[in-house]
Amino acid sequence: MKISLSWLKEFVDIPVDAQELGKKVTSIGLAVESVEPHGNDTVFELDVTTNRPDCLNHLGVAREVGAIFGTPIRSPQFKLRESTAKTSDAISVSIADPDLCGRYCGRFISGVKIGPSPDWLKQRLESVGIRSINNVADVTNYVLMELGQPLHAFDAESLHGHEIIVRRAEIGERITTLDGIERTLTPSTLVIADAQRAVALAGIMGGAETEISGKTTNVFLESAHFAPQSIRKTARSLGMNTEASYRFERGADIRMAQTACDRAATMIQELAGGEIHHGMIDVFPGKTAPVRVSLRRIRIESFLGSAVEDSVVDGIFQRLEFKFAKTSSGWDVEVPSFRVDVSVEQDLLEEIARLYGYDRFPGTLPSWRGYGSFLPGDAGERQLRDLLSNSGYSEITTYSFSDEETERRFRPDIDPVKFQNPMTEDAAILRSSLVPGILKSLHWNLNRGIHDIQFYELSKVYRKSGENRALILAATGALRTQSLHDTPRDFTFFDLKGDIENILESIGALSKLSELSTERIPPYYHPGRSARFGELAVFGEIHPEQLEALKIRQRVFLAEINVEALLSKTSMKSVQAIPRFPAIRRDFSFVLDKGTQYVAVQRMIADVGIPELTRIEPFDRMESGPFADTKYSLSLSVVYQSADRTLTDTEVEGFDRKILDILEQRLGAQLRK
Amino acid sequence: MSSDGIGQLRSIEDQFDRECGAVADLRALEDIRNRYLSRKSGLLTTQLQNLRNIPAAERAAFGQAANQVKGKIESALELLEARLSGVEKNAALERERLDITLPGNRRRLGHRHPLTQVRREIEEIFVAMGYTVEDGPEVESTYYNFEALNIPSSHPARDPKDTFYISDDVVLRTHTSPVQIRTMERMKPPVRIICPGRVYRRDAADATHTPMFHQIEGLFVDEGVTFSDLKGTLERFHKQFFGEKTETRFRPSFFPFTEPSAEVDLSCVFCDRSGCRVCKQTGWIEVMGSGMVNPKVLGFVNYDVEKYSGFAFGLGIERYHMLKYGTGDIQLYYQNDFRFLEQF
Repeated sequence: MKISLSWLKEFVDIPVDAQELGKKVTSIGLAVESVEPHGNDTVFELDVTTNRPDCLNHLGVAREVGAIFGTPIRSPQFKLRESTAKTSDAISVSIADPDLCGRYCGRFISGVKIGPSPDWLKQRLESVGIRSINNVADVTNYVLMELGQPLHAFDAESLHGHEIIVRRAEIGERITTLDGIERTLTPSTLVIADAQRAVALAGIMGGAETEISGKTTNVFLESAHFAPQSIRKTARSLGMNTEASYRFERGADIRMAQTACDRAATMIQELAGGEIHHGMIDVFPGKTAPVRVSLRRIRIESFLGSAVEDSVVDGIFQRLEFKFAKTSSGWDVEVPSFRVDVSVEQDLLEEIARLYGYDRFPGTLPSWRGYGSFLPGDAGERQLRDLLSNSGYSEITTYSFSDEETERRFRPDIDPVKFQNPMTEDAAILRSSLVPGILKSLHWNLNRGIHDIQFYELSKVYRKSGENRALILAATGALRTQSLHDTPRDFTFFDLKGDIENILESIGALSKLSELSTERIPPYYHPGRSARFGELAVFGEIHPEQLEALKIRQRVFLAEINVEALLSKTSMKSVQAIPRFPAIRRDFSFVLDKGTQYVAVQRMIADVGIPELTRIEPFDRMESGPFADTKYSLSLSVVYQSADRTLTDTEVEGFDRKILDILEQRLGAQLRK
Repeated sequence: MSSDGIGQLRSIEDQFDRECGAVADLRALEDIRNRYLSRKSGLLTTQLQNLRNIPAAERAAFGQAANQVKGKIESALELLEARLSGVEKNAALERERLDITLPGNRRRLGHRHPLTQVRREIEEIFVAMGYTVEDGPEVESTYYNFEALNIPSSHPARDPKDTFYISDDVVLRTHTSPVQIRTMERMKPPVRIICPGRVYRRDAADATHTPMFHQIEGLFVDEGVTFSDLKGTLERFHKQFFGEKTETRFRPSFFPFTEPSAEVDLSCVFCDRSGCRVCKQTGWIEVMGSGMVNPKVLGFVNYDVEKYSGFAFGLGIERYHMLKYGTGDIQLYYQNDFRFLEQF
């Protein structure tokens, strides 16, 4: 909302300069966005909040300025001169839908001469961003900016039947509005009609057929009040936003309609001549008693934080033009009709706070009972994040948006949460998987020359059935690059597997629930390099075809972890005693058939049933050597330890024998020579 | 014989003095020790073995002289050994000297996303003030996102050009305020919560907007909660977060769910209120919205508005991170460029 300083000064004396005024006005809630010179004038751009339509005009802003400085307000002075011709002979008005139109004032002015406006008027409108049209139209805009009352001037000759009816549109009724667009209406739209047809969209825009033109001689001037919700709905459904609709949908001052009508008629007569017919049309079905609100003195301190002297409160109400009566407990206030935002006690407390000054209430810290706490899963997630950071993974954050095609590549069975009104095609649903987002982030970095990456995201995925936390890990490129201290090495499947094992172990979930298998692996994983840990994690290398489609030219490893299930597994750990007797480590190198999995060897050894066997650990694997091509060599160490004695050589040799025998019998394993 | 014997001792002593001066390392030391003191063939040992050939009257004198020489040789060798072994140890250490100016061998450490860090930091400040962190759905009914927050169906904030609609009565939440309503429905005052999370608005992405961002909202409802309490709480929060010299200013504003409402300005973190480009020369930056909970909102959750009052506030996590670290573009938080992430 643009406000001209010189215009403002017609209504109120301002004891400070423009910059200071800007600060003061901002401090009571009318945020000044900018202060710009405009010719000899200064123009303020005000950000008027939606609850204060009374400040969408100069008189209203002047009232606020007067309230700041305690200076009196001068309302616009004019003298209406009516002719003897009666308005009622020229036109009549009826309201068919009084719930949508609370008041309709009108004036009939005959014999006007349409022409350009004088320069002062043009300049004034221009200063607040309005283009001059002609003297009559300019007056309606001027009064709008002055008093906040939207007005409309009809070419009275083009109205049929000397009557105005305020009614709902008929189904399919059409009107061409002033902007030249023909619109088809529905009964939810309120129109101004003559005897035959709709001639204006009530409170939004006039019709082209009854527009003031150079040939107009008789003017019918409308100054009405329309229900905010109806105007808002219509304006939105028609995609229109006008100065009039902007004010009506926020709430205009129903008592201003009459004054504005007379003010505009007087100005039209002054600028365009003609005679104002006797008597104003004023159909006022929405007349109601003023709103009354009580304010309890005690609430000022108990709600705002410190007491304010009665005389200060009295002064604030007086300056705001709130009539009041003092009572033993406080004030009974009559709210002026322009303050559509005030209806309960808290509204009055707001007025006191804002005019007394927010900065005059000291900051205090409230006392409290009880205790503070983080989200229930927070500790577990924090532990996970720490572990992932320490394992080299950096956290990413991606948008929750996705598109169905991308999503179905990874979640063919999804029932996605779709938007009615997506902004773009590739952000039309909520993601059901974190895979596309993390791959996109890898792609972004690879394209920028960053090839060695470990990322994770711990966030939400969405289904129609609900929202769930999810964790994903991705890694690609080198784990270690060439340095003085180390040889370079690429990230491998087993690096990923180890990271997941660390996660599962740290949460205490490395157990039967996390049994390794290759069942139900999604197709975007490499079939020979992927696995799952029970229901807790699916992981592996991404299928080369997927990478090709994504134009990624290096191996990528991915792990999807069911973080909700994982964190629900957290269990208390209890300490194991440190063994007092020495451990004995024995190393073996076996020659095995190619295709014999390590897990088979491991299970076989475990199944021997040696209670003193505490650990089995493979440490070398050779695909070729002094053995047949169909064989491979696996070296592993086993550790024996007893909790209650030192093991003897004979015992240890017995254990070894059992292991060697069973591996030979069941797997055909031979000790490598 | 006896004087001759003592004379020989003296000449051994002289010889030792000469040879001892030439010993340069521990091996030569061992050689010289053996040559003089070896139990079988040492020069001095051999002399002492002659003792029985010496007339009894002279034995004492010879013995005394021999022990004196032996003592002298032993202590000379001891001294020499201490000196030589010190030299050798030093030499050994010297051979192990590293170029400690070479870079350390750093294992790769990951980085927590900046939004996670700031969210955590803010949560910690409020948890220390007795707040509980609460969570809620992002796919939310229009009742919780709008109606219960005093945003009726005709309100412009509900326009489909600003809000993502899933169906006519389900939206992506436009703020985390629905969590406040859900929490108040669940529990009686005192309520002290903060609600962090993702929110969605149909803003085209640019340097200061993204269609999704993160908010933290706070709510404090109890008996006798005042506007001063709101001010004091947010003043303390900003000092904790930005530093003790940070100042907070409150300006009247309007939000449907609070009254009175206040825009909260922060003394400019970039220029310390002396005026700069970021604060448009005003010395202040608008950072969050706040206010006293509108009694209509308390009415929606059936709280006794005569008994209870409260305040609420909401901030953008991205914005707070941008202000604290001088990030110029909000989109950096979602690009996941490692060169950005590794800075945190």
